[in-house]
Formats: sequence, C-alpha cells, structure tokens
Amino acid sequence: MSQMLAVAVNTFREAVRDKVLHSILFFAVLLLVVSLGMQEITIGDQAKVVRGVALGGISLMGGLIAIFLGVGLVWKEIERKTIYTLASKPVARWRLLLGKYLGLWLTLAAEVGILALLYTVVIGSQQGLPSMDVYVAIGMLMMELTLLCAWATLFSTFAAPTTASAYSLCIYLIGHFSDDLKLFGDRSDDPTFKALCGVLYRVLPNLDVFNVRAEAVHGIAVPASELLWALAYGGGYTAVVLLVAMVVFERRDFK
Amino acid sequence: MSTPAIRTEKLSKVYLSGFWRIPYTGVEDLDLEVPEGTSFGFIGPNGAGKTTTIKTLMSLQKATGGRAWIHGIPVPDPESRRRVGFLPERPYFYEHLTAGEFLDFYGRLVEVPGAERKRRITRLLDRVDLARFRDVPLGKFSKGMLQRAGLAQALIGEPDLLVLDEPMSGLDPLGRVLVRDLILEERRAGRTVFFSSHVLADVEAICDRVAIVVGGKLRGQGTVPELLGHTVAHVDCVFDGVEEGGEGVEAGAEGVRAAPGGSVHKRLPPEDVDRWLDAVRKAGGSVQSVVPAQRTLEHVLLDEVERARPVNAKRLGVLA
Repeated sequence: MSQMLAVAVNTFREAVRDKVLHSILFFAVLLLVVSLGMQEITIGDQAKVVRGVALGGISLMGGLIAIFLGVGLVWKEIERKTIYTLASKPVARWRLLLGKYLGLWLTLAAEVGILALLYTVVIGSQQGLPSMDVYVAIGMLMMELTLLCAWATLFSTFAAPTTASAYSLCIYLIGHFSDDLKLFGDRSDDPTFKALCGVLYRVLPNLDVFNVRAEAVHGIAVPASELLWALAYGGGYTAVVLLVAMVVFERRDFK
Repeated sequence: MSTPAIRTEKLSKVYLSGFWRIPYTGVEDLDLEVPEGTSFGFIGPNGAGKTTTIKTLMSLQKATGGRAWIHGIPVPDPESRRRVGFLPERPYFYEHLTAGEFLDFYGRLVEVPGAERKRRITRLLDRVDLARFRDVPLGKFSKGMLQRAGLAQALIGEPDLLVLDEPMSGLDPLGRVLVRDLILEERRAGRTVFFSSHVLADVEAICDRVAIVVGGKLRGQGTVPELLGHTVAHVDCVFDGVEEGGEGVEAGAEGVRAAPGGSVHKRLPPEDVDRWLDAVRKAGGSVQSVVPAQRTLEHVLLDEVERARPVNAKRLGVLA
C-alpha cells in the first residue's frame, strides 16, 4: 500500500507541476469568471443561466483534464523510459498502475475542488451561497471523471497519447449521447443497426446518469436512490475498466 | 553451495517485428550463472542480447522460453527484485523531481523506513558527488549527473545485487573512475555486481567473472584468466643491425639482411618469433627486445564475433 501511495504522490506531484495543466486550469477559472458576464446578455432567469454556464464549464474543463492527464499516464512513463526504473522495483505492476490512477484521481479531485471553491466565491458573491444541490452535482461530476479517467488510463496502456485522446474523446461524446444511441436503434428498421446500437448502448458507459447539473441549476431535488444507483454504476464500471487496464499493463513488454 | 545471485536456464526472447510479426531472436537458450559476491561483466557487441537479457531479468520483458531466477526466486515474481538495484542504459528520470525527491520516491518504492531513508539519501548524494544539487530538478542535470543520480537510485535499497546496464556510457573519465570505484566498493562489501559494458579494459580490471554473448547466444563464461587463457596475442620485437627485404633465408620466411645502423620493429604472431630470431642472428643482427603481449578481452570478444559470423548472418537473415 505504501508503494502504491508513493506512486500516487509522485503522479500527483508531476501533474501539478505540469505547465499545460496550469493553462487548462487558468482557462477554467477564466470561464467561471466570464460566466458572470453572461447575465448581461441573457434574457430570462439570469441567475440560472450563470449557474448553468459555470457548472458546464467545470464539467467541460474537468473532462479535458481527465483526458489530457489520463492518456499520458502510462504512455509517458514508457516514452520517457522512466518505466525501466519504476517497473524493475519489487512492486507488482497492477499496484503501479493503481498508484498512478490514484495520483491522477487526486489531481482531478484537487482541480475540481479548486473550481468548486471558486464557484462558491464567484457565484456566491452575486447570488448568495449556492444550494447543496450544486455540490451534489459537482460530486456526481467527479464520479463521471473517475470513470472517464479509468478509460483514458486503459487507452494509455497500449496507445500513444494522440490515439488515446481520440479514443477517450469518443468515449466522452458517446457517453453523453448514450440515450440517443438507444433511441436511434429503437427507431431503426435495420435489424443489424438496431443490434449494433443495442450492444454499444450496453457496453459503452452512459455518462449522462451522472449529469444532475440541470436539476441543481433549477433547484430540483434528485432522489437519493437515483444518485446511489449512479454511484454504484460508476464505481462498478470503473473497477471493470481498471481491471482490463491492469491485465493489459501486466502483459506489456517494455522494449 | 550458496544460491547464485542470478541463474538462467535456456532463457530465450523472440520479438515479433512489424506488421507481419516477423520473429527476431534477441536471446537464445542462455544459460548463465552469476555467483553471489562476484563482480560479473556481461560483454558483447551492439545487438548481442545484453540489454534484452537484463530487461528480461528485471521483468521489463517476458521471456518467450526458458527460466530465470534471482537469489533463487523465479523471475518475474516481484520478490525476485526485492534485493536488487537496477540502473538502465541511458537512464531517464522524472524531470520534475529534485535529486532529493527522486531518491525519496525510489526509497519509498523499496520500502526504506523514513528516518533511514533520509540518512541514506544524504549519504548517497555525497557518495555520487551530487550533494550540492540535492534541491535541483533532474531536468537541469547533465547526462553524467543523471547517470550518477541513477546509481544512487539503484543503491537506495542497499541491494545485495546491483544490475547495471552500460554504467560507463556517456561518462567523462572522472565519471568512469567514480563508477569503477563504486563497483569495486560494492564488491568489497560482499555484494554482487552484474553489469554490461563496452569498455572492455574496465571489465577486465574490475570483474571476477565475465560472460560473452554474441548473436543472442552465450559464447563463454568464466573468470578473466580462464577466458584469456595463457596464450600470447602477439609479440612486439625490435631488431638492430638489420633491415627487411634481404634474400637468402629459406622460402616462406621473412627476409632480413645486414644493415649497420638499421633497425626493424615488428609485431609478430607468437609462432613466427623463433623463425625471425634465427633469421636476424644469421644476418648478423642483434635482438633489442622481445615483448609478448597478453590476450585481452577485446581479442577474445573479436574472436567470438568472428566465430559467430555465420550464425549472426543467419539470425539477421530472418529479417531480410
């Protein structure tokens, strides 16, 4: 466990010292601040629009960070050949991978935490303290990112960052249009297409189950059972993806 | 008899190359035994299979045949690497870490307790002459400094076995001396040092035992005297009062003739020396010096490469 933690801390340290990450974080903060300006050009319930845009910004930037860091997680170690000294230590490879994943997760949690804090300060200064629903929505977003970075980690065990980024982006997009995929299949007359949509709907993640941002913005309470189900789904799915990643990583040769 | 530090039995590694998965042999049926407490040199030309063997031992690659053990524990069990320190060829490290953080990270990976870890970091940085650079990120280190930091990393767990892949590569003469002394110190402390190198003079000077690998196959292993034999590589002779080109010596022998004030310097194969001595004396010249040169590892390696040429051609032919 201590070895896994050492890897996690090193991964976290590397990520927070990465200049590209600083840039993404800067844009996230900028987006949050700019969202305040939205009320000047918005018709209707300005406060809700601002909250919606700010939460959407946190989600988008969180997704970008998860993909950006996740796809390089293992690949960078191989490309920079730091894997030679890492994997030759008396640590099982699955522990190394989990340690790296944990470090990535900690980075994401820190980033989302910073953005949530900024949200509280920036939005709170204009609209008063946000309701608990907003933090529930951010918590659910964190679950989504947990799953997304498990996929990015899996891709990074066998694909170069560019390819892995494309794969991860596909997962992100399909994951948010999963219900539409099912709808397409249901409405199609072509049995092959119908079957394909059915399989993809079941195999690929449904990231919309974690999206309760609209409800948070409009102050609609989401039943606890629904949230718990989504968390169980996310946790289970993440575990399966990480298991596959561990198997792939275990079998890899480092030439 | 104690368990060898490293043992391999018919260890093989075949790579599948390119889209058509064409097989290429990295190492074939390697039987190696590295006794505990020795400094063991692993030599061979580029592409001979040295790094492949080391990476397989360090579980960075999976063997496609045969078996290997480190301290009696089968590879790739992580426990086999418990008492091992490893420095890869041309080491790359985390550029964002300072030298101190870097050693702390690897110390944690080999589970050195906190206070002891701190002591060892200070001692090791001092030992590899990097104490002044403790708080400098590795990204700012020169190649030689990285190599030394890598050595410190390999030593942080105080391993019983050090595996070093080309530890002298890219080092200036001072760096080479530092590495050589370090290997000797480790050996004196009773540890096993297994290292590959192209600097054969260093291998000859440092190693108790040497293994030669050519074309993925082991061509010999033993102590340095065993490998060198007692044979003489060549004899450097200086003759006075003669010059080359004379006639009258028997057919096939080198011709010399009397030449007052003349001098001939020859590097002769050992079997030709007697014939030359006779010829010089007959011509009225004198023998100034006869200095036999012992065979070196370089001679042995070149002989083995020559001997393996048909095998190598066949091996490389797989890719052709």
